Amino acid sequence: MAHPAVAVLESALRARKLDRTLTTTLPSWEWTDPSSLLPTDIPLVDACLRGGLPRGQLSELTGACSSGRMTLLLQLMAAATRRGEIAALVDTLDCFDVASAAAAGVDLDRLLWIRGADSGLGARGSETQHTRTQNVRSRNMESRIPDRESRIPSSVDRAIDRALKALNLVLQAGGFGIVAIDLADVPAVTLRQIPFTTWPRVQRVIEGSDTACVLVTPEPLARSAGGLTLSLTSRSTWAGMSDRSHVLQGIDLRVRVVSPRKRIDGDVRVRASM
Amino acid sequence: MATCACARRCEVSVFGALSTVEGAPSGVLEEVAREFSPRIEVCSPTEIVLDLDGLTRLFGDARTIAEELRRTAADRGLRVRVAIAGTRMAARLLVRYRAGLTIVEPGNEAAAVAPLPITLLDELSSNTSGIKDPHHRIKEPHHRTKDPHHRTKDQEPRTKDQIATFRHWGLRTLGDLAALPADDLAARLGRQQTDWQRLARGEDARPLVPAVPEERFEQSLDLEWPIEELEPLSFVLGRLMDRLEAHLEQRDRGAAVLHVRLHLIKRSNVQGQRSTDGTTREVHERSLQLPVAIRDARTLRMLALLDLESHPPPAAIDRVTVAVDPTPGRIVQFSLLTRPLPSPEQVATLMARLQALMGETRCGSPAMVDSWEPGAFAMKSFMPLDVNARHQRYDTQRYRDTENKSSSSLIHSRGASVPRPSTCARGALSSVEGRCVVEVNDASKLPVVALRRFRHPIPIRVQMKHGQPMSVSIMRRGLNGGVVDSCAGPWRTSGAWWESRTESRFPSPESRVPTPWDRDEWDVALAEGPTYRLFRERHSDKWFLEGVVD
Repeated sequence: MAHPAVAVLESALRARKLDRTLTTTLPSWEWTDPSSLLPTDIPLVDACLRGGLPRGQLSELTGACSSGRMTLLLQLMAAATRRGEIAALVDTLDCFDVASAAAAGVDLDRLLWIRGADSGLGARGSETQHTRTQNVRSRNMESRIPDRESRIPSSVDRAIDRALKALNLVLQAGGFGIVAIDLADVPAVTLRQIPFTTWPRVQRVIEGSDTACVLVTPEPLARSAGGLTLSLTSRSTWAGMSDRSHVLQGIDLRVRVVSPRKRIDGDVRVRASM
Repeated sequence: MATCACARRCEVSVFGALSTVEGAPSGVLEEVAREFSPRIEVCSPTEIVLDLDGLTRLFGDARTIAEELRRTAADRGLRVRVAIAGTRMAARLLVRYRAGLTIVEPGNEAAAVAPLPITLLDELSSNTSGIKDPHHRIKEPHHRTKDPHHRTKDQEPRTKDQIATFRHWGLRTLGDLAALPADDLAARLGRQQTDWQRLARGEDARPLVPAVPEERFEQSLDLEWPIEELEPLSFVLGRLMDRLEAHLEQRDRGAAVLHVRLHLIKRSNVQGQRSTDGTTREVHERSLQLPVAIRDARTLRMLALLDLESHPPPAAIDRVTVAVDPTPGRIVQFSLLTRPLPSPEQVATLMARLQALMGETRCGSPAMVDSWEPGAFAMKSFMPLDVNARHQRYDTQRYRDTENKSSSSLIHSRGASVPRPSTCARGALSSVEGRCVVEVNDASKLPVVALRRFRHPIPIRVQMKHGQPMSVSIMRRGLNGGVVDSCAGPWRTSGAWWESRTESRFPSPESRVPTPWDRDEWDVALAEGPTYRLFRERHSDKWFLEGVVD
């Protein structure tokens, strides 16, 4: 039996129509309509997710650099576009590789690509030798500054601000099967500065719709009550014994599913090839 | 000539023909005719037929109408001939032969045209062959095919031959031709030749087909007080768009291009003051190419406003005009079996909003380009409704072939690029809930590893040992360098060396100008975890980080 305080809290949330944040109000997975799920078309992952990512919910793909986040996201988009749905990608720092998407089977005509400014981590090619020298000289100075991360380039903030606005516009337009926002290259400290009200607002927009919203982030950030977090790690696999025949074969992707109150919990490994 | 008696009787038709000898400016003659009657037929740029039924109540008898027509044309700088008769054909024949005003009483058309030379039929025929279709949207009447005056060009020689035959028979006037026995004429030249006789008597072969004036879908509003901001302008635009939508709906048309013209108040030299006369000096004009035919007023208003937000007028507005280029309305068939896609109006609005937010070239659908250049792509407009003939394109396959084609990893200098070796992956190692499973499946069903590509490659430092990268240093926050655990390469690619070298080393892909590249690529996995794609620029011997395998 639930604690009386929990019951009081839940009734208060229901009174203010905030009960969508309660996992107790979510429908049972056994009775979930398959059309309310967004499958990845990877049988093992779909089996682990019990059909796919929930539509109308905010889910996450999290992991470190080279953990296979973009690989899995492209699989989701390819599966959606193969079924005739349309997909949207808010590419915050303009890192999307079109050739990879085409190779993954994404129908590019059904993909809306919103390119953010190449900033923040960017101005990549514009780093001059002079700047590099300055960086080297100031490296020791920076180590003494207590809050290095607080000096965030404002261009990254602007890029995130625009990306979130674009995400909101796309979600409000409706009709998309999957809408993803790529925040993978954004520094964690910058992500933490995003107002926490942003994500409940996003959840409110897609609530009851057929759109699955996916965040691609380096660490768990904002899963909705009914959404899932796919925590990814990977290991590159190589083939060939000699130096000349050595070749990157692919990555072994480990997907760990985290769901509210462990309604779904699983671990699956998938191999992705080059 | 006597006053036309039939003009006073409503049941008898009266037609007037208006013709000018000298070349008139385009449309002037039509404007003159439209001042008198809405039912006009443009026979040629210099000849128009009017239906004058009912004009006697406005102007008086036929002669008065003819004089009024002539006076109105003279006001426009035209000298015209006018003929009024009970049939169009009689009016046309007379206006061609007689100068000034010609009035024929009803029933006397045959007698009036009888003295006219038979060569007029030839003129009429050759002239009508080049007639501009008075109303191209109207389907050609079936009976027009029977009219000998609407003949195709290959029939023109036959018409000339027939006129020559008539002349050879000694016929000089239309009266001579009309007097021939119809049966004998049909027996010698065919049943169709009797139509010539009808024309020679001044009879009409078909009714008048009125030319519909080209409809303009345009709305304007003059403002009492100039508007300086877009918010009040949205109300004005909404009002105009509502009217425009009603007009388009009435004609079953949609807007293909939306034009917004804002007449601006030019400020005087003294800052902050308007010109004293208050006249409009400048026009701020914007045109929006719409992806599909749209006539929804709210959508049109929103698109116009979003465009004006990006391109605001430089001064206050005192007159607003919206116009559209019409196109046939859209027919939509919905399906109960597929998920509904956003409507074109929603997509157009979304794209306009996104372009206003992100920039015009930053939103759309990606597209592959036919190039070996790494990272080359193109952007095109997002049109999700175009679902016909959608297949996986050849460039996708080409890319996979490029990436997976089995080949030696040896560098050779002849090819433009050395494709990467095959991964020969045929197995998938997997485990569900702790149970390890090794599945053997088709490699094509495996997920494809994606690359996170840096649009501008990041300069890095690489230490080499025995010709292979040993460590990587990246001076960029968020990207870790370190000791190389595994590496593969190099794969040499080069291209566009025949192009002139541009100053920018890594120009934006939007430039669409191929830039030379010559480099050795490496796949590198660091001991700390990340897997990078690096390359060394051969001519500068500098290293760059192209992307992250993710």
